[in-house]
Amino acid sequence: MSGMKQNPPLECDVLVAGGGVAGLMAAIAAADRGAKVIVAEKANSKRSGSGATGNDHFLCYIPEVHGEDPSEFIQEMESSQIGGNNDMDLVRRYVDECFDRVKDWDAWGVGMREHGDWEFNGHAKPGHLKVWLKYAGREQKPIFTREALKRGVTILNHHPFAEVITGEDGTVAGGICVDLTEEIPKMQVIRAKSVVLATGNVNRLFGSRTMGWMFNMAGCPSDVCTGRAAAYRAGARLVNLDMTGMGAGCKYFNRGGKATWIGVYSDIEGKPLGPFVTKPSKEYGDLAGDVWREMFTLKNSQGEPVFMNCSEIQDEDLDYMLWGLTNEGNVATMDHLKEEGFDFKKHMVEFDAKDGGSLGGGIDIDINAGCTVPGLYAAGDETGNFRADMGGAATFGHIAGVSAAEYSQGKENRNAEQMPAAAEWLEKHSQILERPADNSCPSWKELNVAVQQVMSDYCGPYVRSEHMMQTGLTHLKRLQKQVERMCAKNSHEFMRCIEVEDMFLMGELAFYSAMERKETRGRHRRVDYPFTNSLLNQKFVTIEKSDKGPSVGWRDKHK
Amino acid sequence: MPPIIEKDKCIGCHKCVDLCPVDVYGVQEKKGCPPVIRYPEECWHCNACVFDCPAKAIRLRVPAPLAMVFVDAPERKREN
Repeated sequence: MSGMKQNPPLECDVLVAGGGVAGLMAAIAAADRGAKVIVAEKANSKRSGSGATGNDHFLCYIPEVHGEDPSEFIQEMESSQIGGNNDMDLVRRYVDECFDRVKDWDAWGVGMREHGDWEFNGHAKPGHLKVWLKYAGREQKPIFTREALKRGVTILNHHPFAEVITGEDGTVAGGICVDLTEEIPKMQVIRAKSVVLATGNVNRLFGSRTMGWMFNMAGCPSDVCTGRAAAYRAGARLVNLDMTGMGAGCKYFNRGGKATWIGVYSDIEGKPLGPFVTKPSKEYGDLAGDVWREMFTLKNSQGEPVFMNCSEIQDEDLDYMLWGLTNEGNVATMDHLKEEGFDFKKHMVEFDAKDGGSLGGGIDIDINAGCTVPGLYAAGDETGNFRADMGGAATFGHIAGVSAAEYSQGKENRNAEQMPAAAEWLEKHSQILERPADNSCPSWKELNVAVQQVMSDYCGPYVRSEHMMQTGLTHLKRLQKQVERMCAKNSHEFMRCIEVEDMFLMGELAFYSAMERKETRGRHRRVDYPFTNSLLNQKFVTIEKSDKGPSVGWRDKHK
Repeated sequence: MPPIIEKDKCIGCHKCVDLCPVDVYGVQEKKGCPPVIRYPEECWHCNACVFDCPAKAIRLRVPAPLAMVFVDAPERKREN
């Protein structure tokens, strides 16, 4: 067999999978500690990942703002949209370090206080502590890229990470990425003493509101679950994959977001629907969309669409909202509304719970961002037991970089390219390019749509049951045989094919995890177990690889 | 379908090709001419190419299924 072409192996101390916010923060921190760092990036780190053209909020504890005792802050954080599945030791470390990262970003020129001082607006309840720092993230990615390059980090753009290579002793020896810079892809092995996984969220496993328009997503649609899948295959434990949820935002245009909008969730007659605000408030936003997702399904079932009503906004607040939308990646949303003749003071736009579900959970990390495999670290959206969006990516990205650099000290690089994992990967993936790229083999797109259907219909946020999940899993496994027959005729299609492989694996693990939790909890709606079993409070479902296949277990949430 | 490149403004630098987070453009044969948009249905509407195009030659068009839904707001109540 001729096989896929290979580049000569590269070598570093710390290999970072993904040049998003978490990955670049890890790379910067590791390089600051003297490590030789390579970042394997799917696109171009200047504009890649869910922070590509901006973000809106950074969860941040500032003692001068929130008081010396962080307990109220932590309480507010846990009851917000990101709370619930966080280990509390990780939360405390986050609270200790997040302001340092905000100060780093401020020093590097990210717009952390464009209106003079730190401002906490939006995502807030009247009378409660405000925990979300409002910032302007539009130029964050070019800035982090510049800071990484300044420290001697090598960024391999158009080289998506694909696999972790471990040695016979089970420790990390390197990774595999794919060189997409030419029409036909090439395999690139990188010898490394440690690997930081930071490939982001899982964005194309469940369907969007516009089925078929698979890339209509709030998060970056090229982030699919690569790091989680690679971690699992390398033997790392994953956690909380039973959890699911749904986003909220502008109906149909899923990029739209919600947190920057200054308005009131209203019915068509302008009657407020939530308990939080009755007039547009820059200070609070309207938290109803964050914490009451049932509002959309409930109101729709009563024959009522739900609108974001900004019509009574003051001029000054409207300017503030437009500034926010411009800096969180929503310029396309604004341009679209403008073209359609939308006027914030005259019209109201419909909002919706906008997707067929999402995968909660991911890689299980310890307080130093370490996985259960020695030398393997994870950070950002990729992790399953801590979530704080951009702030989480920044803070645990930094922690992962420090930990990986320290772990790598005094270790030797090994010939990862000669290890069995490398040969197995090459053989399996060469076939994708060798199969006839005609209608005799399924394309990535066919299988991506198929996996979205199965996940949304049988493991989604509306109805789950043993019988539904058994049926869905049986179907998923049958479809998996077709994944083994996929074909690609160029680099782009090859990239999508390996994404689909990972999505099928993660879908399967989500089914096993969800079947294990025999109760209803949040959006994990087991109609066959409708009660919330308090014996399972503070308990996480885990899953890891064993000789007999996926092995499901439980662990306590860290206090 | 997005993005739309104004051919007479485009300088063929292919910065857009290099920066797109979802590889809407794919690998291009040669620089110096406007890039071919090989995978337009994979656009995420992030605006990276619009922001960073040195010739300001790119705009996005939102496809019909993604069009936002809006209605007239009720008359504002007179207060004060």
